[in-house]
This record gives sequence, structure tokens and C-alpha cells, in this order.
Amino acid sequence: MTSVTTEEAWDALTLSEAEYRSAGTRYRLRRSVRAYLFVLPYFVPFVAFLVVPTFWSVWLSFNKGGILDSAKYVGLANWREISNDTELTGSIKNTAVYAVEAIVLVFILALMIALLLNRYRTGSNFFKLALYIPLLAPAVLVGLIWQFLTNYDFGLINLMLDALGLDRLNILGSSTLALLTIVLAEVWRGLGFWTLYFLASLQNIPEELQDAARVDGARGVQRFRRVTLPLLKPMLLFAVVIAIIANFQVFDTVYVLTQGGPHESTSTLVWFIWKRMFQFQETGQGYAAAVLLLGIVLVLTAISFLLLGGRRRRAS
Amino acid sequence: MSDFGVDVPEAEGGAHAAYGRAVRRDRGFRVVKATLAYLVLAVFAVMAVGPFLYLLSPSFRQSYELFSYPPEWIPKSLYWGNFSTILHETSYLRWGLNTLVFATSVTLITLAIDTMAGYAFARLRFPGRTSLFVLVLATLMIPTAVLIAPLYIMVSRLPGWTHAGVNTYLGMILPMVASPLGVFMMRQFMSTLPEALVEAARLDGASEWQIFRKIVLPLMKPAIVVLGIFTFMFQWVNFLWPLVITTTDDMKTLTVGVASLQGQFVTNWGVISAAAVMTMLPVIIIFLIFQRWFVQASMAGALKQ
Repeated sequence: MTSVTTEEAWDALTLSEAEYRSAGTRYRLRRSVRAYLFVLPYFVPFVAFLVVPTFWSVWLSFNKGGILDSAKYVGLANWREISNDTELTGSIKNTAVYAVEAIVLVFILALMIALLLNRYRTGSNFFKLALYIPLLAPAVLVGLIWQFLTNYDFGLINLMLDALGLDRLNILGSSTLALLTIVLAEVWRGLGFWTLYFLASLQNIPEELQDAARVDGARGVQRFRRVTLPLLKPMLLFAVVIAIIANFQVFDTVYVLTQGGPHESTSTLVWFIWKRMFQFQETGQGYAAAVLLLGIVLVLTAISFLLLGGRRRRAS
Repeated sequence: MSDFGVDVPEAEGGAHAAYGRAVRRDRGFRVVKATLAYLVLAVFAVMAVGPFLYLLSPSFRQSYELFSYPPEWIPKSLYWGNFSTILHETSYLRWGLNTLVFATSVTLITLAIDTMAGYAFARLRFPGRTSLFVLVLATLMIPTAVLIAPLYIMVSRLPGWTHAGVNTYLGMILPMVASPLGVFMMRQFMSTLPEALVEAARLDGASEWQIFRKIVLPLMKPAIVVLGIFTFMFQWVNFLWPLVITTTDDMKTLTVGVASLQGQFVTNWGVISAAAVMTMLPVIIIFLIFQRWFVQASMAGALKQ
């Protein structure tokens, strides 16, 4: 019978420091591997269909062809071509005008409606549902609806002008009104989304802050400017960024409503890109314009963060 | 936001009466304000829903009737010809099927891979977690237009030197599951999971996969429904990618198909509006049934940043 001292038994049961450390390493390694297995199913398509195509797109901007034939390296030729293209500069300008008008208009209206819904809760569900319905319509249908509204012969707007004794307008045929129609169509569609977004943000503001301000004698407008708005700022930053990214990509409504016309007055950046790539077979110019769009979106996002993000710290 | 809490009884004269008058005046003012507010809300509600109703009328009329003057809003008799034209002379039902296959597949795959990745980013520890998540977030900024040419080339070329992936479900679906929005949303939702729950299961010897399947997923059901609705709606209205990747009529989605009707039935507004009505009606019905989830999805999108 072998005798075992307490010390030996203790040694057998516990791990040496080195063993302990290696077990820890092994555990952490296993833990990381398992975590990577959770991330992998997403990262395969993510890298394949998002990361690689983005860099590929930059590479393509120095190439011609590629869609129906194989790509040919042409150096800076595409960039030189689009830098002299007045249609592109026009498209950028149209996109910017469209985005600014659409974002400002939809934000003001959505914030106003959200404030009303936040204040008057009776029946607010009905209004939420009603405002939501345009969101369900694919842009193609939004386009069709707005064609019906603006049609010269039977469009609602023209029938109303008629009833008021005014002259009918050829709305989509006018260089000044066509872009405005696309703005209004987008505002009409996006209003429900942004209303719900601002409403959620408003309901996130602690009631006590409003009450405190009210007790201190702050009036409605004051309360909005001094309490609500500063607290909304972080939400507003996110909203502005999302809205810029989304609105600079406007395409569907242009495709259905105007096809970029009349006289390219509604040609937007993505419309330009699509036309060059898939209609004109001027793929190179399309590639370069796509990379330009990426650059514009990145710069605008950075600017929004700098302008609005800085104040966020002070407000919260 | 009730008024001063108590109703002031009519007291005899003096300060009490003045106070009572002030309260009544205030109440009157409040009624006027509320009326105005509801009026504004009603105007916007009508503007949101009205145009859809405006489409109903021409879909039940012959196209030439649209030009009658003064306009007839309510057709004297219902004309069903537009709808039968859509059903018999276009691939409308096929487009509907394609849309359903496309949007459902993207949604299911997205749900599967995004919940897993979201869980890992929120609750598991591994080297590079933060930088990978920042990379995912950064891709939110990449416009679709930047991706379509490389994606088209990939899908059409990879399986061979023909247009192998064009006009196939697989080619339509796969590139769309990479969207970063779902991973972002799921991570934010998963961060609200009580850590103790996961820890307790781990101590009981459950594997990570068991924890995920048996504890995390059931708890995340509302978030998963929200992401599902979000993804489905996003693909349901998707236009640019289906437009690029489908060239034959029987592979188009509804959005692309309905848009193509404008070329086919140039000014046959009756037929075009019938197609629009047929496309919108099922969605509105589904929306009204599941309205709570839809509204929640949008509100949650705003809150869970």
C-alpha cells in the first residue's frame, strides 16, 4: 500500500502555473475559434459581395469594358473623360439639389408631425398607419402614382389647377418642375419613416426633463429649442447620415418618372452611372462615376459627423 | 399633460372667479389648438393614402374614359378588362412568384447569418471583434451603384464564360445577403440580453451553439421578426439589382416587371394602374394584419442605435 501525502495529492489535483497558463491559452483559443465560426457565415458573403466588389470597382474605374467583354486597362482615360462631361457635372448638381430639398423638407415635416403625434396621443395609431402606407410602395409604384398625379390630361394636380381657373402645367415635361416632382415623390414616400423615427426619438426623451423645464416656466417653443432639440441631436446626426447616403442614390423614381429628362434636368448620379454602364455601354465612364459617388458619400458622411458629432458631446 | 389637476369650483366673486375664467379661457385655447393639430394630421393622412385611392378609379375604367371632361371619379360600371389584360398578356403572376422567392430567400438567409454574427459581436470575445464590427459599419456607406458592375461581372462570369448567373434565382439572391444593416441591428438588440443568463447556461455546461439556439434565439424573437420585416420590405422594393441581373421577362421581379409595362402599354393607363393596384393590394392587406410589427420595426430601427 503506497502512502500518499497530502502535499502529493494536492499537486496531483492542481495545475502548475505553466499548465494553468497553457490551459488558459487553449481555452481562449477555443473560445475565439468558436466565435469566428459564428461570424464566418456572414463574413463569407460580406467579403465576397461587399468588400471585394468595392475595391474591384475602384480598379474598374481604370478600365473599359468588362460587362459584355473582358476589361481592358486604360489608365486615367475614364477619369479624364468624365471630368469634361457636362452631363456628369449636371447630374451631380441635380443630385445635390434633390438631396438637400428632399432631406430638409422631409425632416421639417416629419419632425412637426412627430411632435404633434407625441403631444396628441388619442388616435395617433391611425395616423401612424396612414403615413406608413406609402413606404410599402416600391419606388416604381411611387413613380406611377406621381405620373398619375402630374399627368397633363387627367392628373389630379392639373384638374385642381383647372378648377381654380389656372392654366394646366406640363409638369414632368418642364425642366424646372420635373426635379421638384421627384423631390416631392420621395418626401411623400419617406415621410412615414422619418415621422416614426423622430417619434421614437421623442419618446426616448425622459418625461422628467420636459416637466422640469415646464415647472421652471419654459414655454412650448422654448422647451422645444432648449430641451427637446439638443436631446434629439445624436438622433439627428444618425438621421442626416442615413438620409444623405440614401438620397444620393436616388434612381428608381427617376427611372420611372422622367428617365433623366427633360434635357437631362433630372439626371442624377446613379441614373448617369446606370445609363453609361448598361445602356450606352460606356462602362468605363460609369465605373469612374460610381467611384466618384462613393467618394462624395464618404466625404459628406465625414462632414456630417464633424458638424453634428462635435456638438453631441456638449448636449449629452 | 392634464391641466391643473383639480377643477376649480365656481366660488363667489373675487380671485376665485378670475381664476375660473382663466382656466376656462385656457381650456378653450387648448381645444382650438387640438383641433388645429388634428386637422394638420388629417391633411397629411389624406395625402399619404389618397393617391392610392386615386389609382383605383382608372384601373376599373377603359383608358379613353380617363380623358373625359368633366372627370368621372366613380366609374358607372366596373370594367375588369385591365386586370385580365395584366393576367393574360403579361407574366404578372410569374413576376409575383419571382419576387416572393427572391425576397423570402434573402430574408431567411439574412436572418440566419445576421443573428449569428450579431450574437458574436455582442456577446462573444475574440481578437479583432471591434475592428471587424467597425468594418461592417463602414460598409453601410457604400452605395449600391458602386457594387452593381463588379457584382454583375462576378455573377455572370464566375461559373463559366457565359452569362451563367444572370437570370437565375441564385445570382439574384446571394449578393443581396451581404447587407450590413442586419448585423448592426442584431448586435444592438443582442447587447440588451442579460449577461447572467448566458453565463448561467455556460456554467451548466451548455455549448455556445446550444446557448445560441436554446436561449438567445427564443429571447430575441421580437428582434428577429423586426429584422425579418425590415429585410423583406427592403428586397420587396429593391429595383436596381433585379433590373440589372434579369434580362428575360420571366425572371423579372414585380418592381422591374411593372416598370417594363410602361414600355409595353405606353399610354394604356388603365392597364398600368391595374398592375399597380394588384401589386399594392396584397401588401396593404399584409401590412394591416401585421401593422403592430411594422410600426415597431421602424421605431426600433430608430431606438436601437
